Amino acid sequence: MRPFVSRSLALSAALCLGGCATTSQTTPTPAPEQPSPQAEQQAQAPAPAEPLAPTTVPAVPLKQPAPMQVVVQANPASPIVSFRLVFHSGSVDDPKGKEGITALTADLLSEGGTRSLTSAQLLEALFPMAAELSASTDKEFTVFSGRVHKDFLPRFLDIFTDVLLAPRFSPQEFERLRARALSDVRNGLRSENDELLGKVALDALLYEGHPYAHFVGGTEKGLESITLEDVKAHAARVFTQDRLVIGLAGPVDDTLQKTVVSRLSALPATGAPRVELPPVPTTGGRALVVQKPTLSTAVSMGYVTPLRRGDPDFFPVAFALSYLGEHRQSSGVLFNELREKRGLNYGDYAYAEHFIEHPGTTYNRTNVARTQQDLTLWIRPVVPVNGMFATRGTVYFLDRLVKQGIPQDRFDLSRGFLMGYTRLWEQTDQRRLGYAIDSLFYGTPDFLEQYRAALGKMTPESVHAAIRRQLRPEALNFAFVTQDAQELAKQLEEQPPSPITYASPKSAELLEEDKAIISQPLPVRPDAIQIVPAQSFMEK
Amino acid sequence: MHRRFFPLLLLLLGAALPAAAAEQAASPFFPYPMKVDRLPNGLTVVRVPFNSPGLIAYQTVVRVGSRNEVEPGKTGFAHFFEHMMFKGTKNFPEGEREKVISTYGYDDNAFTSDDVTVYHSYGPTAGLEKLVEIEADRFRNLEYSEPSFQTEALAVLGEYHKNAAQPFLKIEEELARTVFTQHTYGHTTLGYYDDIKAMPQAYQYSRTFFERWYTPDNVLLVIVGDFNDDTLMQAVRKHYGPWSSKSATVNVPTEPPQKQERSVHIDWPQSTQPRHIYAWRTPAARLDTANAAIQTVLADYLVGPTSPLYKQLVLDKQFAQELYSDFTIHRDPHLFSLVAVLQEEGHRAAVRSAFNAAVRELATGKVDASHVEAIKSNTRYGLLMGMETAKSVATQLSWYAGIYGSPDALARHYQKVSEVKPADLIAFTRKYLTAANRTQLSLTPKKAGGQK
Repeated sequence: MRPFVSRSLALSAALCLGGCATTSQTTPTPAPEQPSPQAEQQAQAPAPAEPLAPTTVPAVPLKQPAPMQVVVQANPASPIVSFRLVFHSGSVDDPKGKEGITALTADLLSEGGTRSLTSAQLLEALFPMAAELSASTDKEFTVFSGRVHKDFLPRFLDIFTDVLLAPRFSPQEFERLRARALSDVRNGLRSENDELLGKVALDALLYEGHPYAHFVGGTEKGLESITLEDVKAHAARVFTQDRLVIGLAGPVDDTLQKTVVSRLSALPATGAPRVELPPVPTTGGRALVVQKPTLSTAVSMGYVTPLRRGDPDFFPVAFALSYLGEHRQSSGVLFNELREKRGLNYGDYAYAEHFIEHPGTTYNRTNVARTQQDLTLWIRPVVPVNGMFATRGTVYFLDRLVKQGIPQDRFDLSRGFLMGYTRLWEQTDQRRLGYAIDSLFYGTPDFLEQYRAALGKMTPESVHAAIRRQLRPEALNFAFVTQDAQELAKQLEEQPPSPITYASPKSAELLEEDKAIISQPLPVRPDAIQIVPAQSFMEK
Repeated sequence: MHRRFFPLLLLLLGAALPAAAAEQAASPFFPYPMKVDRLPNGLTVVRVPFNSPGLIAYQTVVRVGSRNEVEPGKTGFAHFFEHMMFKGTKNFPEGEREKVISTYGYDDNAFTSDDVTVYHSYGPTAGLEKLVEIEADRFRNLEYSEPSFQTEALAVLGEYHKNAAQPFLKIEEELARTVFTQHTYGHTTLGYYDDIKAMPQAYQYSRTFFERWYTPDNVLLVIVGDFNDDTLMQAVRKHYGPWSSKSATVNVPTEPPQKQERSVHIDWPQSTQPRHIYAWRTPAARLDTANAAIQTVLADYLVGPTSPLYKQLVLDKQFAQELYSDFTIHRDPHLFSLVAVLQEEGHRAAVRSAFNAAVRELATGKVDASHVEAIKSNTRYGLLMGMETAKSVATQLSWYAGIYGSPDALARHYQKVSEVKPADLIAFTRKYLTAANRTQLSLTPKKAGGQK
């Protein structure tokens, strides 16, 4: 274990070098020269008194950047130019009965061709450049991202902006992409990915009756009811200047910035009014069991929380959840206890804010900011006989974190880990842009640097105080994907002990701990257990 | 553009001397200088300075994969063994390695394929010397208990369960089993379900596996990023230098030639899109032939996003939702495939006809030279776009070096791609994409397209 002083010095040196390689600017708001007031606030604010558990999570609006605010992450040495157009528009904007329209509209814009290029011609134009152009949608945000080698910048810029300004809206492409979206619901979601199904089921449970409740990709009936005219109208309603932040990275100069802004000024200035999100009841103790033929049981659990980036407690709670289960990192408590020691499954993770894996990495996607956040834990599939034990184990270790906090030696390790690991979250131009843009909406400039600064000032005691204020195992709700839903529902209702047998000898200490786990009470109310067949999930 | 090929020739000359220190200049296909040393024990050490201030990617490539699983009942073992490499040594017992990784904040993991196993760590340069120490230690002195081995087998079973809901795992299993009757490519990297369930009983075999394959002459280190080369090499020599063992030789059976078409059908018990796959037996990836480069181009030529088949089947007629090739480079002869995810079962015959027509057209000598040039441009720029971080550079180097067995294989493969001519596609198609050399796989879901 290295002393903290030297680790801190090493990090400072690394940050300085990093700063030399990459310059960052945000217009029209200049980057702050002094430590942000928020960081000071987080570092110095007296610990709030422990509040009563909230009964609802209000929808405190995210900040609204100026229309078409430009964020630049200049990286002159790179030959690749990155574009990241982030609209504050997402599946919350789907009108009732048209669930999935925002994602489908984004797909049709990015893949369906432009007035001057059919979809096939669009592919042919991008292909020799190996240029990337894609769209992704979440609850509140839609991102159009593009990357191109500077050899092809002018041609790509025309195409990339045409995608938004002069879409083709081909009926044929509309039908193709809608069929794909329907398959994603019927097959991709319901049948082929139990982990995803569990997570989407938890969303549906936590946000019942709320615009977050439906799958971002849509519902079966919603997608079936959407027409091409609906899509055209929706594009004009939600992909507007007042909802847009423009991100540029790589060898970016003033001319490119001006050109991009000038072109995108042809978007509608405004469109649909912002959706007013309702408060979310923080009702705990509910369970949704999705039944489908499957070899194993997947489990997600969590609750809606007012805690989000910018809150003084966010960094210590994010730290605590990382300690509990950073995604696919072997140092996490859940990973160690449930997978490594007990061999229950492939991994177990915990997140202080909504987590969507960035493809090809273990890091959270950027630009999936949410007004109302959820704190979740995720158990990768376990054999059905161990489903209850794994669920209880997860709750047991969450509970232990709340009661006992983090031991000093593990605290030091987790802090060292995040000091280094968070630097990996910002190693591509697209991710740097993503973080800078998220910071505009959360009001958290230099978010990752502030996170590291906050880590440097935390103590086990200060983190434990935040944990006690914010972590509430009794508020958990549960989503399961399993074959014998009736049996699992019965176990949840009656909660008999769930003993476990192991294929290999275990230590006396572990077996002693198991005695507590097998009877760990789950905060599930017998009258709040629902069973849903996978085939009708996200039907409407 | 051709003048840019000149530096590559220098690079190739340098690569002919892997046993000694070699410094290789940047080239159009690998735009960074690279240093290669081979230690007296046979360990190859590849270093690439890269602009990632304060960060390094550190990868260990072992030339072992499911290809090496020659004993019956031991399928999936290379992958399982990869998990055991995280279990500890006398110097760093189980859990101690994680403390080092945590202290610095490395992103630390591994993956296994048919041919290679790659261990990768990505994080602060400040931890590099310690990383060299713990990595050398586990490769030289791995030690784990039988209970730990048995417990980890269950995590691997969980990994199988995680993937089993998706049709691709079953497709891989059935296709491999049908095509390869002798060669170990007949099973997937994850292994047969029954073999995975039996893994807890294979503790002794795991020790044999380690001694056979985890030897310095079968391993390459690939380090990319911000580091001092002298300091690094000093640490490498100190910690890896005393490692002395030789890799084993096992007889990986040769697959006899295929003489007539084969087929296999899967009735998928759940909702998914139907699939149709054409898969031909094709030659191995070797640096003295263009076969892998030709297949790299051919995949895009036949079913890439700008291929006539994609336009016809996906965009215009919409008989298929997706069209792609699963081709990846392999040490031994493997497969070149065309994969269609059908819109509905009724389009299967039309998709097969379209596949046949596209292959027949190429075999009769009709080839679109401009399409070939566009593919080569895409490949070259795609490579540049794909090397944004120290980790992505290291991963690409590791993959090609591991399969081809040469540190400079990445650049040499892409150079060969740049040299593929339209006539090469014709000749390759005539020779290999024949009906007798083909296996067809069809998958029909219980309820096509998820309709209730």
